[in-house]
Amino acid sequence: MELLPQALCDGILLGGIYITIAIAFSLTYGVMHVIDFAVGEWIMFGAFTGFYLNKWTGLDPFIFLPVIFVLYFGVGYLIQPVIHRVLSGTKGNPFLMGLVFTFGLAMMFRGLALTVFGFYSNSIPSMFSEGAFSFDRYGVSVVIPTVRLVGLVYALAITGVLHYLLKKTNFGLGVRALAQHKDAAGLMGVNSKRTGSYVYGIYVGISAMTGVLLGCILSIGAQMGNDYTIFAFFVVVLAGMGYLAGVPWAALLLGLVQSIFMIYFDPSHTLLAVFAILYLILLVAPRGLFGKGV
Amino acid sequence: MKALNSRGMQAMVLLGAALLALPAVVHDTFVLRVLTEAIMWVGLAIAFDVIAGYTGYLNFGHGAFFGIGAYAIAILMMQGNLPFFLALPAGGLAAGVVAFIAGIPTLRLKGAYFAIATWALSRAIQQLALTMDMTGGPDGMRLTAFLNPQFFYYLMLITVGLTFIVLWYLLERAPFGLKLKAIREDEEGAKALGLNPTKLKMQAFILSAVPTGLLGGIYAYWITFIDPSSTLGDLVSDQAVVMVVFGGMGTLFGPAIGALLIFAFKTIFWAYLSDFQLLYIIILGALIAVSVIFIPNGLWGTLVRKKHDEVRPEHEIVAVAAPEEGS
Amino acid sequence: MAEPILKVNAVSKCFGGLTAVDDVSFQVHPGEIVGLIGPNGAGKTTLFNVISGYYAPTRGTVQFRGADIGGKPPYHLAGVGIGRTFQVVKPFAGLTVLENVVIASFLRHPRRADAERHAWQVLETTGLADRANISAAGLTLAGRKRLEIGKALALEPSFLLLDEVVAGLNPTEADKTVELILKLKSEGLTILIVEHIMRVIMNISDRLVVLNFGKKIAEGVPGEVSRDPQVIQAYLGEAPA
Repeated sequence: MELLPQALCDGILLGGIYITIAIAFSLTYGVMHVIDFAVGEWIMFGAFTGFYLNKWTGLDPFIFLPVIFVLYFGVGYLIQPVIHRVLSGTKGNPFLMGLVFTFGLAMMFRGLALTVFGFYSNSIPSMFSEGAFSFDRYGVSVVIPTVRLVGLVYALAITGVLHYLLKKTNFGLGVRALAQHKDAAGLMGVNSKRTGSYVYGIYVGISAMTGVLLGCILSIGAQMGNDYTIFAFFVVVLAGMGYLAGVPWAALLLGLVQSIFMIYFDPSHTLLAVFAILYLILLVAPRGLFGKGV
Repeated sequence: MKALNSRGMQAMVLLGAALLALPAVVHDTFVLRVLTEAIMWVGLAIAFDVIAGYTGYLNFGHGAFFGIGAYAIAILMMQGNLPFFLALPAGGLAAGVVAFIAGIPTLRLKGAYFAIATWALSRAIQQLALTMDMTGGPDGMRLTAFLNPQFFYYLMLITVGLTFIVLWYLLERAPFGLKLKAIREDEEGAKALGLNPTKLKMQAFILSAVPTGLLGGIYAYWITFIDPSSTLGDLVSDQAVVMVVFGGMGTLFGPAIGALLIFAFKTIFWAYLSDFQLLYIIILGALIAVSVIFIPNGLWGTLVRKKHDEVRPEHEIVAVAAPEEGS
Repeated sequence: MAEPILKVNAVSKCFGGLTAVDDVSFQVHPGEIVGLIGPNGAGKTTLFNVISGYYAPTRGTVQFRGADIGGKPPYHLAGVGIGRTFQVVKPFAGLTVLENVVIASFLRHPRRADAERHAWQVLETTGLADRANISAAGLTLAGRKRLEIGKALALEPSFLLLDEVVAGLNPTEADKTVELILKLKSEGLTILIVEHIMRVIMNISDRLVVLNFGKKIAEGVPGEVSRDPQVIQAYLGEAPA
């Protein structure tokens, strides 16, 4: 029981990072109506890029975060037109085809990662990796590793910027319009292709950045993408599909579950627990915890 | 696809006869084994297409049913001491039951979410097999060896042959197939026509699971060794998706042809380029991506369309000749 | 008059804070054509969705042939004799025109051969027989609207809900559709029709029900309703605030 506050703390710190991924992921779905199966792979690539940049230059990975964002923004921006083309197809079910496409991409990326990076696990070292804050009062004793705290701060900052972008800029207005009604938005001058490219680019960039954070806090491995894809999906379904306001809570829950399993149980059972919860939620409340999903 | 014309029917019968007679002529066990596996993949692909191509609900974790069948057989035979021919149907049943349980919450999701949910399920099942004692953990399970290539060839051939016939009847002759396609095309609209999507989707899901479980069971006894990475890993699911997408969804011949082509490619690839195994996955992924962009109907689907387009002109003429019908 | 085939009793449908249908009551008698009209957004399609089982009423009941059908799923209602078309026509694009109708025919003709025969008859009735084997995606708008009607007819309904089956057609096509509707009525079908093309709905309806902002504001024969000041105001009056 004494470890519970620690678990809670860890959970919140981790969950905060998941919020960022989940919001970007949700947004992409809202605008492009494609569930990107490769979300975990973007996180993985970002993590590895951070790892190698750190290895070659010796600079702290946190410094690279903007670089990684720009790099992967570019990648996403360039790939999006292909996805758009698939989604605009007239044959079959375009959205399903879009999913199959991103599934194929994810497969390619996984294979690529395994080929280039091998099967080993690693961690990205950072100047924050060593330090920790200790909180020891009122009978509660928690250790907050600095790197996790910094990671959380960074993630929240990104979320804040994203929020600002969406709510307070014209670009954000266009994005929200596009998400709600593609044709009407088009008629009002929102360029769906270009906006879609920007959104996808932002989403890939954010995912990659978050990958670096996760790489510092947890670990990296060529197959980590699989788990994070499930996590992203878990958060989005729990929050209620399309209901962005539910994302923070669902993300925190995920962080909590993961932390509890890391402290109390066998970490390799985390996926089972995540799935069991997902299954129950789908059974009992298919529109998410708040009943506001689609 | 309408009923096979008599020429097509004759071709199928001839093919069936040739396949049945084959072991009498071919004695090379390597060739027999390759053919057995090829037939297995055809079976997997057409079973998968029931839920994927006909119903439009892609299950990215279809391999889980294969693994469930394999493990069910292994556990029943090694720990339950059941003879193979009793264990095998149980394997198929197990897969069907899992499909039912998993289907209840997941089938109410829209197509794309269904894909990820079932994918997550298959990974969770793999995780389960890795951690449970009964399944032997990461080391897998060994079955008593029964080495008889002809036996397994025939067993695979008969199982897949029967599956093909049953599916062909259900999907192309009986109303079931058309109803599934209606759900694929417009689930909400189909309801107004008297179709119950929940029931039909569940039937399709179970129908895709049971043959797959059977094939997994046969595979386990045939190879005599199974482990989570070979039977519950990504490879079975991934290949099923490629075969169906590349071959042509929503038909029986599409996935069959896709299965044969991909399997042929895999066999040749692993024979000559076994150092670059991971490259295979990259190529599979690229093949999916490319197929979606350039041949969304798959190879077979595109070929059928071409033939259909050639036949169309007479219909055009009839329509044009009766303008007052309001073209 | 004979017992009403459809009774809508104080039906309301709310979506969160929005009340799309507000305490609407009316009845449809066998063999009638009742027109449902009102400005855009008046709640007509929502009402259709309630009657055809896509939405459950928030309040009130819907009775078909005396039985309460509120909240029953659409496929059940198809079975008891309600057929409907959709405002946004969505044929099963990956299938042929014939296959589209065959699927509907399965309801009353479970065997494939019977269903196909029946489907051909329906195609003849709706004038689509010459296009039976082309992909439904290749039909023109007029063809698609015909197909919508055809699919609903293949259910052999006793009550038909038609949602804007004439809108978007040129006058010749519109007249042919009207002919078809009147023919169906003469064969005993009861029809509830939503339509914006006034000359059509005024001419074929026995009675009209007028909705505005979800409420029923008038009901009666076309002559009366077209002179009702509230109706006139709803269509031509001040723009909503």
